[in-house]
Amino acid sequence: MSRTQFGLHSFGPIFRGLLGAAIGFSLGVGLAVLGRLAFGAGEAWDFEMCFVIGYVPALIGWLLGIGVWSHWAKEWFGGEVKGDEHKGAGRYFQFNTDHKVIGVQYLVTFLALFLLAGLLAMLIRAHLISPEGAIFTEGEYNRVMSMHGIIMVAVAVAAVIGGLGNYFVPLMIGADDMAFPRLNSLSFWLVPPVAVLLLSAQAFGGWDSGWTAYPPLSTTNAHGQVFFNLAIITFGLSSILGGLNFLVTIAFMRAPGMTWMRIPIFVWSIFAAACIALTFTQMFAAAVLMVTLDRVAGTTFFNATTGGDPLFYQHVFWFYSHPAVYIFVLPGFGLTLEILAHFARKPLFAYKFAVGGLMGIVFVSGFVWAHHMFVSGMNKNLMAPFLVTTEIISIPTGLIFLSALGTIWMGRLWLKTPMLFALAVVFNFMIGGVTGIHLADVPTDLSLSDTYFVVAHFHYTIIGAEIFALFGAIYYWFPKITGKMYDESLGQVHFWTMFVAFNVTFLPMFWAGFDGMNRRVASYTGNLADLNAFISVAAFVLGASFLVFLLNMFQSLFAGARATANPWYARTLEWMTTSPPPLENFEFQPVVVGTPYGYGNGAQPHALPAPAGASDDTENRRENAE
Amino acid sequence: VEIALAVAVLLGIPLLTAAIALITERPARAPKPRTVSQDSTSKATWITLGIWTVLTVAGVGAVLAVDFYSTIASDRGEDIAHAFTFLTALAVPVAAMVVAVLVYSMIRRSGGDDLMPPEDGPFYEGKGPFPKAWLGVTAGLTLLIIIYPGLWTLNDVIRTHDDPDVVINVEALQWTWLISYPDQGIENQFELVVPVDREVTFLISSRDVAHSFWVPAFLTKIDAIPGRTSELSLIATETGDFSENAAYRIQCAELCGISHASMRIPVRVVTQSEFDDWVASKTAAAAGKED
Repeated sequence: MSRTQFGLHSFGPIFRGLLGAAIGFSLGVGLAVLGRLAFGAGEAWDFEMCFVIGYVPALIGWLLGIGVWSHWAKEWFGGEVKGDEHKGAGRYFQFNTDHKVIGVQYLVTFLALFLLAGLLAMLIRAHLISPEGAIFTEGEYNRVMSMHGIIMVAVAVAAVIGGLGNYFVPLMIGADDMAFPRLNSLSFWLVPPVAVLLLSAQAFGGWDSGWTAYPPLSTTNAHGQVFFNLAIITFGLSSILGGLNFLVTIAFMRAPGMTWMRIPIFVWSIFAAACIALTFTQMFAAAVLMVTLDRVAGTTFFNATTGGDPLFYQHVFWFYSHPAVYIFVLPGFGLTLEILAHFARKPLFAYKFAVGGLMGIVFVSGFVWAHHMFVSGMNKNLMAPFLVTTEIISIPTGLIFLSALGTIWMGRLWLKTPMLFALAVVFNFMIGGVTGIHLADVPTDLSLSDTYFVVAHFHYTIIGAEIFALFGAIYYWFPKITGKMYDESLGQVHFWTMFVAFNVTFLPMFWAGFDGMNRRVASYTGNLADLNAFISVAAFVLGASFLVFLLNMFQSLFAGARATANPWYARTLEWMTTSPPPLENFEFQPVVVGTPYGYGNGAQPHALPAPAGASDDTENRRENAE
Repeated sequence: VEIALAVAVLLGIPLLTAAIALITERPARAPKPRTVSQDSTSKATWITLGIWTVLTVAGVGAVLAVDFYSTIASDRGEDIAHAFTFLTALAVPVAAMVVAVLVYSMIRRSGGDDLMPPEDGPFYEGKGPFPKAWLGVTAGLTLLIIIYPGLWTLNDVIRTHDDPDVVINVEALQWTWLISYPDQGIENQFELVVPVDREVTFLISSRDVAHSFWVPAFLTKIDAIPGRTSELSLIATETGDFSENAAYRIQCAELCGISHASMRIPVRVVTQSEFDDWVASKTAAAAGKED
């Protein structure tokens, strides 16, 4: 029986997952109610406690239903597990261990979330077009802004690593898959519950504490806060498992000859980000877990009247959430350097320094968190050390610029859409970087903290660097993923509209900060009216630029010209195989014999097919890894 | 002092760079497969240096000419605005260098066509002394900004007054501010009145969730956290009034729930005699009420 045709049956696993979630939820809630009755804990029904206790079995039920049981857990009990489907659109809607399928699942999911949160940004700007606020009540505005924030943070965490990392890390190191393919699929299928929680929270009052969820606000606001907390814990689990998988994959699954100093820089950047994801994510999960316990279990971690301390939350939260910005931006750096080298047709300049820069940032990232708390009223003796450590981050970051500028220097640039995006990253991050210095410096931070200066700064670093790099990389790898070429002129239109509108939107926000506009406000003083109206109009143009992107993607997917295996004449391994790559990635075992960036060095190749008869040892490597 | 410091560092950096470059210089490597002629490299260097110089001069000029903060009405604010200008002026040459290389690379003859990339560029792998010199320069600049304005200005902006002229209690609650003057016996005002040129200390607390005490005109801010009292000291330097300048307001700057954005009350900075009159009228009114 052929089940490869796409149809209603393709959604079978999702229905089974939903059924599993419903059963699990009922069991959990029933248990909670029984427990409350048995121990006489006041009323039998407590919404938040029952929901939290119901959520855990619901999540397990969802995972089992979607395929963890049929593709994986069944064999622990002596059963026969199902294999993956390898053809048809249906495979994207089920448990599938092919890293390329998972990469596409992540990429499409997070692009959809990006567009959704982008729409929320459009609503935010429409509201802020007038000083008293044009469309929302204050409470609604806070909830919309909070949802925009956390969804975009999730996109920033997972779109590049989960999407492009999953698809291209194994290809670029010459592996046939990730080290733990089933764990990989599990990481992805933890994501839909996160999206469902964040969206359904709005039906339960939403949450109005931003993406930072500082208590005591987050211990006293609407039920939606609990949905947010569970979403963070679930997403954190996904992120940690993903980080672990990347570290093991990169450490153990490299093709013969792929020494550490021959790894493409994008793979290094994923390695660096995975170190942070694995080490720090649990801090955020722990922080919101304590908030949840304060709400439903009567603990008082953050309640000052019973010995708790609200500042304690801020420290634990920023333990993760500062390093997290490097989870966002390091893969953006990696993509940028990758594209710059291939389109300047030059070796990646000072490769070892660039790797040192990435790993240097990882190292320092754990020692800088309290710079988010200079105005919090924390012990003043902490200010000087965190000023010093934070400014020190400029040194490894400078090495990234060294590599980027050295790479384009004296090159004849091939100004295709991916290259334009990569060059824009260098420009945008220059602005994001130098304004970071003002925020690291305590004196200037005292005035700028919590103002639109900060809003402008982090949009410059996250959109300006990571999201620009993401879109550049989508154009760069579109032919490899789909086997079709994108439309170059539409790509250029998208780039120039996005680049100009982005700068016109966010540069004036620095001035809004000087003039007394603080963050997260549903209304502002009249002196800021003209500036905000201008920003809103520019933001609408920025939003519209993504319509060009969507048009290009759909048109090219269905009617694009056929792409060759290597349309960019680039030298990394993913271009040595067909577009799209076959199931096991390579028809041959690649053997790496040199750097991926040997442009201008005669015929020095990066890799060759293994001589006929040589054994394929990827299976051995997988076993070693496991 | 700061000018001497800046000059010393700015002179020191090229010297340091040269020293590092000399120390780490290696003998020329084996002949390279592709190189660009010495002429075109030096032409590119001169053009880029030209763009860099123009951008730097224009940028530093603009930074020194612009008043970033429209209102600066406290001693801390003056230090802060000064630090901001210094950091921004120092950032200009760095940013200008990035832009110069980008602009030169874009206007330089690009290559390739629809289907074929341009021929490979020169084989620069960055194995010479340049990256180490770069590391030295960036480390030097970072050290500079850590020392000045960072640590140098730090204590000036966070120190508290030992014996302030006026102590003002600020209590934050969802969603307003209560202002009290314990020494004057004035309680729970919805307006902050501050005498100019006097040492003022604010003792800031919160009744419910985290808030942040921020008067944009004073530039500095500090959070109000339940269970703690935050202390903020300053001297107001310019008289002013919310009705004329929106920077004279207490604005909550930490997300605190529904009406966070509109959690603001007016601020007036007045002369000492006006302040005395205001205190007298308030205490008289309070006495009248008690009778």
